[in-house]
Amino acid sequence: MRIDRPLRERGRAARPRLAAPARTVELAAAELAGAGALLGAVEIALWAGLAPDPWWAVLLWPLTAAIYLAAGLAAWLRRPYNRIGPLMIAAGFVLLAAGLPAEEPAIEAIALVVATVPYALVVHLLHAFPSGRLRGRLSTRTVAAGYAVCLVLQAPQYLFGPETALQLADRPGLAEAALRLQWTAGSVVMAVTAVILARRVAAADRSVRRALGGLYLYGILAVLLVPVSSQVARVWADEPGVWLGAAQLAVVAGVAVAVLAAMLRGGFARSARIEELGVLLADDTSARDLRDALADALGDPTVELLFWAPERGVHLDAAGRPAALPDGRPERAVVDVVHRDRKVGAIVHDRALAGDEGLVRAAARVVALAVDNERLTADLRASREALRASRARLVAAADDERRRIARDLHDGLQARLLLLAVHANGMRTDRGAPTPTRAEAMRLEQGLEEAIAELRELVQGVVPAALTERGLAAAVEDLLDRVPIPSRLDAAGVARAGLPGAAESTAYFVVSEAVANAVKHAGARELTVGLEHADGWLRVEVRDDGAGGARLGDGAGLRSMVDRVEALGGEVAIGSGPAGGTRIAARIPAVARRGVDVLAADPRPAGR
Amino acid sequence: MRVVVAEDQALLREGLVLVLERDGFEVVGTAADGPDLVRKARAHKPDVVVADIRMPPTQTDEGLRAALEIRATHPRIAILLLSQHVQRRLAQELLEGAGESGGTGYLLKQRIVDGESFCSDVRRICRGASVLDPEVVATMLGRARRDDPIERLTPRRREVLALMAEGWTNAAIARRLTLTEKAVLKHVAHVYEQLGLTTHPDEHRRVRAVIRYLGR
Repeated sequence: MRIDRPLRERGRAARPRLAAPARTVELAAAELAGAGALLGAVEIALWAGLAPDPWWAVLLWPLTAAIYLAAGLAAWLRRPYNRIGPLMIAAGFVLLAAGLPAEEPAIEAIALVVATVPYALVVHLLHAFPSGRLRGRLSTRTVAAGYAVCLVLQAPQYLFGPETALQLADRPGLAEAALRLQWTAGSVVMAVTAVILARRVAAADRSVRRALGGLYLYGILAVLLVPVSSQVARVWADEPGVWLGAAQLAVVAGVAVAVLAAMLRGGFARSARIEELGVLLADDTSARDLRDALADALGDPTVELLFWAPERGVHLDAAGRPAALPDGRPERAVVDVVHRDRKVGAIVHDRALAGDEGLVRAAARVVALAVDNERLTADLRASREALRASRARLVAAADDERRRIARDLHDGLQARLLLLAVHANGMRTDRGAPTPTRAEAMRLEQGLEEAIAELRELVQGVVPAALTERGLAAAVEDLLDRVPIPSRLDAAGVARAGLPGAAESTAYFVVSEAVANAVKHAGARELTVGLEHADGWLRVEVRDDGAGGARLGDGAGLRSMVDRVEALGGEVAIGSGPAGGTRIAARIPAVARRGVDVLAADPRPAGR
Repeated sequence: MRVVVAEDQALLREGLVLVLERDGFEVVGTAADGPDLVRKARAHKPDVVVADIRMPPTQTDEGLRAALEIRATHPRIAILLLSQHVQRRLAQELLEGAGESGGTGYLLKQRIVDGESFCSDVRRICRGASVLDPEVVATMLGRARRDDPIERLTPRRREVLALMAEGWTNAAIARRLTLTEKAVLKHVAHVYEQLGLTTHPDEHRRVRAVIRYLGR
């Protein structure tokens, strides 16, 4: 119902071509409604001629019949392929027939034959709702027994009962015995029906219970009330008469009202016609749209649409996660979606709610192409995701490698050089040593100090010491301290903890490239740098007041900066600031404490 | 004077001990990581702790954190931190955390090569001075700022300011620049005036005022 309107609007352009079956149903429904109204009017007129007491008894049967006809027509219009509508319409006409007055023998004969058939139809309706099909052997046999009780055991009553149009012989004893047998057998049918309905209520999951629970519970009440009420009435009054009849008809009418209520609660949602499903699919659809459209078409809000991944041999849901088929749950049914003789997916639906299996198969054929497309898209998405994760791992691995190289240089070579320089210094300052040796030691010491300074610069270039020791904010501040133009840094809230190493050094890389660009090429006079870590993103912004016009492709620095950020699943924007100059902004996913592993799993921060 | 040395690289630790002992220091303990340093400093109560900033277990600023821990319980122990790279912000935090306690130093690791001046720096720190590496001071003075009053100082006064920030006394500055102490006193007064600072009678403490100014 919810999606009904947009569906109609989207389908409007193509409507005249598609509406043929819908039109046929609407036309037939109108004719049936007219016929029912006419028959009802005739019946009321016939009864009015007999001037019954009380006067409203005239209306009892036609009113009940009208309720069934209305509910049946509504159901039929909602689901032209479902048998519930025709069943209720039939019940309406039978009620009209059963209510005919015994004025003309021919008319009376009809009423006598079908007098109790409405009960059998009510039992049938309760068993078949909402799919229109009988489920299970017990259910089928119970419904068949109901018809037998109402048609076969009814016969002795009008053949041998008193003063009827169809009387063969006046055998009151026989008629009485048949009546008792009919009551007993009918009670058994009603009791079994009550048990079956109770079992369905118990087995239903929440959504089904919400939609159908009311009907089933009322149905249990109704099938128990009908036989009991006639016995109670027999005890309390010699002549059960019009009041008992009125009460029983009210109970029967109540079933139709409960069916209408169940429809309104979603248990019998209007199924979009298959053609409308096709129109929807002609538009852009995502996996979710597709599932919703199916749910709408089948009238089953619990429908699941699964995609088949042949190379992995599993079903996937819309998000690409493996999904299990509902084995061992009798209320869930699976229909394969096949495209060009290949299985591409499966529709899992509720047996009760989705109704006709044939309808599900038809829907599966209509959505097959879209499912196949969606499956290929999902495949593509998955491999793109795998590629991105692998790039992120490469960046993280390279980052780890740089840190390792920097540490090795610092801990190994630099320590060794320092110690050598210490010894050279010792020789130089040793007053006992000959002067040429001390002069030689001085040259050695100077050379070593130069080597140490060079090595220190090299290590600093590989991974800045401040980044390792004090984190991103301190390293950027240190960088800006050494830049020849004034700068402002806003790094409030960028704490050390919680930043993955790769994100941290990539952000540093962005700042250093942007700053170098501003100082060297843009001739900027002032810099503003912002760092922010929030919602799983590390955001970096560098603005200057220089010449502007920096573009991607301007030098290898900016290009490799963008590559690194994108490899981690982030993005870089290079443009002009609000007051001219250049603005370079990047955001880098930063959800995990330690880079590589978690990046591989899912680098996308939540809530994107 | 008694020293505890903390350095995770065995070679460098050896070098440090060598340099200090050659100059008459008594190395009473050596440590290879932060927690070890805290334990040894509290056990030996040395005059000064000489520590590398980057040490295990975190390989970040373990030495700095250990030093601050020691300072919290033993404020009289002087602290000298060594690093392969000096940062203005770290120097500032270190000196601001010093309060009225023992001397504080922050030097590049390579300064140990010149054993004589390194050991003289350690002694100054032991006497309560605040000693900063010339490179940190140069970074602070060279930092580009808008309307920087330091730019209005004469080159000579800038030299004096740098030596003040490195923690030298007026007498030492006079020796280094071959000036009379009186001339240095005049320059210092001018520098204070130009920067809008009030003169500090304690030469060991005045470096903090200067650093606070430079770090703004």
